[in-house]
Amino acid sequence: MNASVLPAAKDEPATRILVIEDDLDTAEEIAACLTASGFEAAKCFDGAEGLKTAMSQPFDAITLDRMLPGLDGLEVVRALREAGSEAPVLMVSALSDVDDRVDGLRAGGDDYLIKPFAPKELVARLEVLLRRHRRQQGADGGGVETRLQVADLELDLVKREAYRAGRTIELLPMEFQLLEFMMRNAGQLLTRRMIFESVWEYYFDPGTNLINVHVGKLRRKIDLPGLAPLIRTERGQGYMLNVV
Amino acid sequence: MRFREVWRTSTFRLSLLYGGLFTVGAVALLAMVYLRSAVYLTHRVDDILAAQAAAEMHAPPDRLKPILDEALAINGGNSVFALFGPDGARETGNLRSLPHGLEPGGRPVEMSATPDFPAAARLIAKRLPSGEILVVGRDINQLREIRRIIASALIWSGVFIILAGLAGGAAFSLGPIRRLRALQAAGHDIAAGDLKRRMPTSAHGDELDMFAGTVNYMLGEVERLMSEVKTSSETIAHDLRTPLTRARAQLHRLEQAPQVSSGEIARVTAELDEVLERFIAILRISELETRARSAGFAAVSLDRIVSQVGDLYQPLAEEADLRFQVVAPPTPPIEADGKLLVEAVSNLVDNAIKFTPAGGAVRLALEAGPAGPRIVVQDNGPGVPEGERTAVLQRFYRAERDRLTPGSGLGLSIVAAIVRLHRFRLSLQDAEPGLRVVIDCHAEPITT
Repeated sequence: MNASVLPAAKDEPATRILVIEDDLDTAEEIAACLTASGFEAAKCFDGAEGLKTAMSQPFDAITLDRMLPGLDGLEVVRALREAGSEAPVLMVSALSDVDDRVDGLRAGGDDYLIKPFAPKELVARLEVLLRRHRRQQGADGGGVETRLQVADLELDLVKREAYRAGRTIELLPMEFQLLEFMMRNAGQLLTRRMIFESVWEYYFDPGTNLINVHVGKLRRKIDLPGLAPLIRTERGQGYMLNVV
Repeated sequence: MRFREVWRTSTFRLSLLYGGLFTVGAVALLAMVYLRSAVYLTHRVDDILAAQAAAEMHAPPDRLKPILDEALAINGGNSVFALFGPDGARETGNLRSLPHGLEPGGRPVEMSATPDFPAAARLIAKRLPSGEILVVGRDINQLREIRRIIASALIWSGVFIILAGLAGGAAFSLGPIRRLRALQAAGHDIAAGDLKRRMPTSAHGDELDMFAGTVNYMLGEVERLMSEVKTSSETIAHDLRTPLTRARAQLHRLEQAPQVSSGEIARVTAELDEVLERFIAILRISELETRARSAGFAAVSLDRIVSQVGDLYQPLAEEADLRFQVVAPPTPPIEADGKLLVEAVSNLVDNAIKFTPAGGAVRLALEAGPAGPRIVVQDNGPGVPEGERTAVLQRFYRAERDRLTPGSGLGLSIVAAIVRLHRFRLSLQDAEPGLRVVIDCHAEPITT
């Protein structure tokens, strides 16, 4: 993994995640998965307690169930944003409709994960959110990004061109967007659903094969014979753009 | 049928009101006829009397009496001729005395029958230069008879119109009441659980039929939903039991195995993933069904949707070694939820690609249908047997062929839910060979 990204390196304080989830088993599972990925996880089992904890201690990110006893998830995230908290919030909900997603994001959530989900997917989304959050904080005062580089793969965001080992690669517009998303999240596990939602902005289940084929096509253009393969398949989970 | 019930119907009240208005009109008409004809006839009598009196006044005084006597002899039966002296004493004629109220030179007066003249008469009196008073009169029984006939016609026809109005109103109300009774009876049966029952309709196509038609449409939806709820619980239970049983058996085996490989765990996970995937699809269908119809509606261009889905699936079709043809001619925008339509068309194309063997062809086209644009997804794969085509559109139905392929198998159910939300029409046809799925993008009106 890239040293500058997550989780925190050994000498830095651990990245702290607050898990607000009323189902004890699910909360435990999420926390265990976060701990296994190097995060420090705290759990809260209802909205009011979650809000109190989130306001009184610093957290790098929050996962928030939408349907909670007492204060519901939308109210919690709204209250957090009103209090000035900028920590990325991953909303988790059984409601998958676009309208529900819009409600969740409008209330102040940063991403929206539909139940049931694999804990790995939650961790992956959280990592993407954290990465984006840090990039935005880092970019404050800096200029607009015009170029992305991962190993010998380069992306010119202005000319909309891609180069591998100095050679230009012809990409279709959708392939360019896919590559941009993968490069921005290099070293990060990206599930098919995350890719579909971020690149195509559709929120339905695209089936297993569709994203595989799109990534496969991109891979044939990027990972030319004789070059170190950059796109790695994480079996049953998704893809990762290698950093090395 | 009680009177109160008849009285409460709007038909009866309307007929009554109408009958009342009609009666007033008819009475006014007849009264006018009566007045005009009575006045006319009276005037005529008066004119004749005036003419007669004038003729006799101009006769030489000595000839007057013989003229009167002659007139009496000829017309004495229906006319009055009499001459009175200046003092009022009778000189000649068929009147014994000057009738009370008859003024010489005054207005005509009517007199009822007397012993002298056995009929009602209208009289005028004139004073002669000699001071004598001449009285002429005519039998007006005929005039009175005509007046009586007209008056009785007036009364009887008024009575008839009122009675006919009441009876007609009641009779007209009986029909609707009977039909309402039938509707009520059907409603009670349906409330008691007979969801196959429908509101009776007639061939009139009147307002009651329109209403019954709307209720029947609603009942159709209710019946469909009820039967789907019933079958879907069974389907879900059956569908989920299979992978869950398999996963359980595998776990049991792993529990007893001395060593567990990650590949074996991955297989169990895959089984459970399939269950989860199916749950997600089930939730999605429920969401689509509870959604307000036009929540996300806006003007969308179907050609863009079709070509977007085409771009999305082109690589998948290539990978599956299929010819993939996308036809999206410019089409005027329609009111729809674009994201949902993309989802529906994607599901159809995904299915077509999944079930068409390598070397086959899939066609995604936007065509002009009879009532509006239609989206057609056609393949030359194995198709769906005719008997299964309607079942496939039902909620949570998994076609036989889906049971062997990965995925929730609920794609078509999702498509059907999206199409229903738009009130579009989804149909499955035989493409000979293959399957042809058509979405008619034309919202059907509610009443059917």
